[in-house]
Amino acid sequence: MTDVLRILVAPLVWLAAFSGVYGLHGVGCAFGWADVELLSISLFRVALLAAWGAAVLLQLSLIPTLGSNRFGSAAPFVRRTSVALAWVGLVATLWTLLPVAVMSACD
Amino acid sequence: MSALRRHRRLTAIWASEPGWKGWFSTVNHTDVGRMFLATSFFFFLVGGILAMLIRAQLATPHSAFAGPEVYNQLFTMHGTIMMFLFAIPTFEGLAIYLLPKMLGTRDLAYPRLTAYGYWCYFFGGGMLLFSLLAGIAPDGGWFMYPPLTGPIYSPGINTDFWLIGITFVEISAICAAVEFCVSILRYRAPGMSLDKMPIFAWYALVTSLMILTGFPPLILGSVLLEVERAFGLPFFQAELGGDSLLWQHLFWLFGHPEVYIIFLPAAGVISTVIPVMCRTTLLGYGWVVAAAVALAFLSFGLWVHHMFTTGIPHMGLAFFSAASTLVAVPTGVQVFAWIGTMWKGRPELHLPMLHILGFFVTFVMGGLTGVMVAIVPFDWQAHDTAFVTAHLHYVLFGGFVFPILAAIYYWLPLFTGRTRFFKLGELAFGLIFVGFHGTFLAMHWVGLLGQRRRIETYDAEAGWTTINLVSSVSSFVLAIGLAMVLLDVLLHFVVAVRGRRNPWHAGSLEWAMPAPPPAYNFASLPVVETRDPVSSDPHLAVRLARGEGWLADPALDRRETLTVEPSSGTPEYMVIYPGNTRLPIVFAAITGLFFLSLLIKVYWLTPIALAGIATVGWRWVWSLAQPVDLGPQEAGRGERLPVSGETDRAPGWWGSAFLLAADATFFGSLLFGYAFLWTVAPGWPPPELLEPSLLELGVGLAGALVASIGMRIAIRGNRSRGTGVAGLAVALTGTAAAALAVASLMIRVPAPAGHAYDATLFVLGGYALFHAALAGLMQTFLIVRVRRGFTSPARRAEFPIVCLWADYLALVTILVLVVAHLPGWLA
Amino acid sequence: MFAGATLILAFVLVLLALAFRPRSVPPDERGQTRFWIIGLGLGFSMTILAALLAYGLTVGERLLPRDSAETVAVRAVAERWSWSFGYEELPGHVTENVLHIPAGRPVDVAITSVDVVHSFWVPRLAGKLDAIPGHVNVLRIEADAPGTYDGLTAEFNGEGYEEHEFLVIAHDEADWQAFLRGEAP
Repeated sequence: MTDVLRILVAPLVWLAAFSGVYGLHGVGCAFGWADVELLSISLFRVALLAAWGAAVLLQLSLIPTLGSNRFGSAAPFVRRTSVALAWVGLVATLWTLLPVAVMSACD
Repeated sequence: MSALRRHRRLTAIWASEPGWKGWFSTVNHTDVGRMFLATSFFFFLVGGILAMLIRAQLATPHSAFAGPEVYNQLFTMHGTIMMFLFAIPTFEGLAIYLLPKMLGTRDLAYPRLTAYGYWCYFFGGGMLLFSLLAGIAPDGGWFMYPPLTGPIYSPGINTDFWLIGITFVEISAICAAVEFCVSILRYRAPGMSLDKMPIFAWYALVTSLMILTGFPPLILGSVLLEVERAFGLPFFQAELGGDSLLWQHLFWLFGHPEVYIIFLPAAGVISTVIPVMCRTTLLGYGWVVAAAVALAFLSFGLWVHHMFTTGIPHMGLAFFSAASTLVAVPTGVQVFAWIGTMWKGRPELHLPMLHILGFFVTFVMGGLTGVMVAIVPFDWQAHDTAFVTAHLHYVLFGGFVFPILAAIYYWLPLFTGRTRFFKLGELAFGLIFVGFHGTFLAMHWVGLLGQRRRIETYDAEAGWTTINLVSSVSSFVLAIGLAMVLLDVLLHFVVAVRGRRNPWHAGSLEWAMPAPPPAYNFASLPVVETRDPVSSDPHLAVRLARGEGWLADPALDRRETLTVEPSSGTPEYMVIYPGNTRLPIVFAAITGLFFLSLLIKVYWLTPIALAGIATVGWRWVWSLAQPVDLGPQEAGRGERLPVSGETDRAPGWWGSAFLLAADATFFGSLLFGYAFLWTVAPGWPPPELLEPSLLELGVGLAGALVASIGMRIAIRGNRSRGTGVAGLAVALTGTAAAALAVASLMIRVPAPAGHAYDATLFVLGGYALFHAALAGLMQTFLIVRVRRGFTSPARRAEFPIVCLWADYLALVTILVLVVAHLPGWLA
Repeated sequence: MFAGATLILAFVLVLLALAFRPRSVPPDERGQTRFWIIGLGLGFSMTILAALLAYGLTVGERLLPRDSAETVAVRAVAERWSWSFGYEELPGHVTENVLHIPAGRPVDVAITSVDVVHSFWVPRLAGKLDAIPGHVNVLRIEADAPGTYDGLTAEFNGEGYEEHEFLVIAHDEADWQAFLRGEAP
């Protein structure tokens, strides 16, 4: 069963990060956080970027973890697949949350 | 024992009752799978007829064929039937029929649940069919946006049929999904490790996990809307603090994964059929598995793309636009893996392959228009026009119907043991292909010209007349093609000649049995060493029939199979199935009575139905009683295995775990709804907050913890002394305390019908109370079990199951009480 | 976009057709995996999609309403099955099923609904935006030339859906001033 979890963990982390950032964005816009500024950068933008960065780091750390002897699977198939999906998680995190860096926040 | 004698003996043990009576008491997956498929194709026919009526109406401008009142029912029911009563049940039926055969086992994990799911589908579908025939069918569009479907603008019973009927049908999807997860992970032939699983099983596993997490938001939405309609608790009315956008979120949180829930099983069929049709193996098996998993997850990040025009901030849309483009990548990986497989082998143009080619053309086009509507500015124009209707038909017909037609023709020889006699299928394929593209290419075009979806007529000056006529005529060509497929299949059952086993020379295990398959599937269970066991051992079928595998000895007259450790496939324990019973149909009928009482608003019947459900449920579980310790049993090949009741992780524990995953998604969606209303809905914060009560909170939290700890004491007591009553009594007390606290919460909610805040708290409390009642019932059951001597240190499997539910109750109680009290404190 | 889609479709169809040509295949599974899955499945798809996404996001961002002194603000309130329009510069004045705007100037339409979900759509002026009870959504439209533009409701709302339409009249500067003085055309 742990093997099934190994396969699912990276996409699960993506899903959590994606929902989390979307939720953070929704809450921030609803409560007008976007208008709070510090040194001409919106604090809200900084928070979104930080959340994105944390998610990317977490995904990055999953790749060697799932490939390691300590945490990775003993079965070669599961190890390969889980590492491949860790890459999927990383790319998905970078790709789908890219808008926090380039889009206007609450328009 | 000779192969023939073993066959007779096993058939006597496994067969259903003869004749039509057998339909009502069968729990065999082959039978139930066939019943599922027959029913779902019946609904395909009904949905198809509705489609024809729609096209007849739109063929000419100002058609007087159907007025808006009828037309609105037509398109709503067409979508509803095709999605909920055709596509999902077809997957369920196909997987129920095939999975145990492909996995090399004798049945699914919970045979009675298989039958129960079927009857829920049957009765629920019957409700919707009745509404259609009586002219009181749902008419708010298949995604049922409130407030249009709310109590004010749809006072009739039409909408209730949808909300209640579909929820009833969803039960069968949830049951099937739980069952598939457990079956695929545990009920496999010995030696079948994860990397040797047939690719279809991977797809079915991924799809089932998606059903478990995708359907609960819709069920929640339906429950909330029905509660609003029937009892006036506002969730979607803006003037009372509700928000119609909440429905859109919940619906599409289900609705987009739904598209992939429909597509993935079809992709599983394609991945199975293409290699066989090309005399090779699937290119990049591991990649395809990874792509399927990635697709499943990404599809949960798409739901807002159905809401691009609702005024969500642009960055919010951008997340979903990005995810919607990214989801095309794993789809692309699969498509190219399939084409690569064709290049790797030597494709032969048999009939299933024709339909696969039809899939490629249609689905790729649907995918390309899908990428277009993923782009926000384009979608702002195309949204809610016939372009979107055309796009979704390309994806669903291309991505589901063509592969299913391929599946029908591919597995028909297994179903019937015959070969086709009349060659109607090839002509039918031509008509379907031409008819489909004629219909929906035209629809893309007219959509770009501005024709909205769901209009019942249009002006001749709009210039759409010719295009619509082309579309309608083509749709009738398509219908004739499908009717010919039906005729072909029916003729096949009647007049075709007996064929040989495994006509396609496929490598998977479903072909290592006689055709049509016997009730027990395999006379002895195979030992799997490769991904294509039949290719690597052409005589496998004969050897299994001779009893050279596991569980070859039918001496004990029991329905036996065995389970394996999920990743390695080493045998773990033996399962003894219950036999034929009418319990499933009775249980489903009583469940139906519950839904019916809500539908026709005869509320005195509701508690009676609930009591009936509890009683039958009790009997259901009670009948699994094992009066004495059996110890390890002979499993063949010189090995002995324990029986499932004498393990810590019995099938019931696994089933509960997966069911709780769905339950937790439901609860999570409810919490999301609470947070969503709080931040987005107009009219918040509410006029009056719940008065925090330390006593209520204290009793509830303590009760929750005691219920959980009590179960652990019970497990330990049973293990050391063979009795867990003391611990169970402690747990029951804790459960009662938790129930008391949440009931008090529900009573103290200021005005459930006055504001969405109060209504949400009331539902949260009700959710926890329901789980307390459930856990209490289980604990009482177990106490009775212990007292009657049906447990022992060895027969311990039921303790961990109840513990799981008690733990979940603890989690729910704590969260509900905390989120209910928090705002009051902070204020 | 449609040309690109046609090209991709043609590419896939050619690949499919070539699979049927007679040939002897070298059993090099590794190389094939690299070509089909990594090259085409991942590389090809991701390149195209990244370009498309970048394009979509930029265009979407450019379509966002930006503040400008020229902007005219109007209100659109949907109800089954009519639209009423109010004007910031002409308080109290309401027009039924006809929206008056100046041509050549950006107009912000604040859209809401008093009953069910509707959608405001003037195909020739902009994309659609929903009218949702309890919410106000703002859509930027701009008519380049004076004239009449058809508007539609684009979210199914019950039995009168098909007929639920309105008109947008874009005035030249003189007419618009006349409209604002209450000399309604």
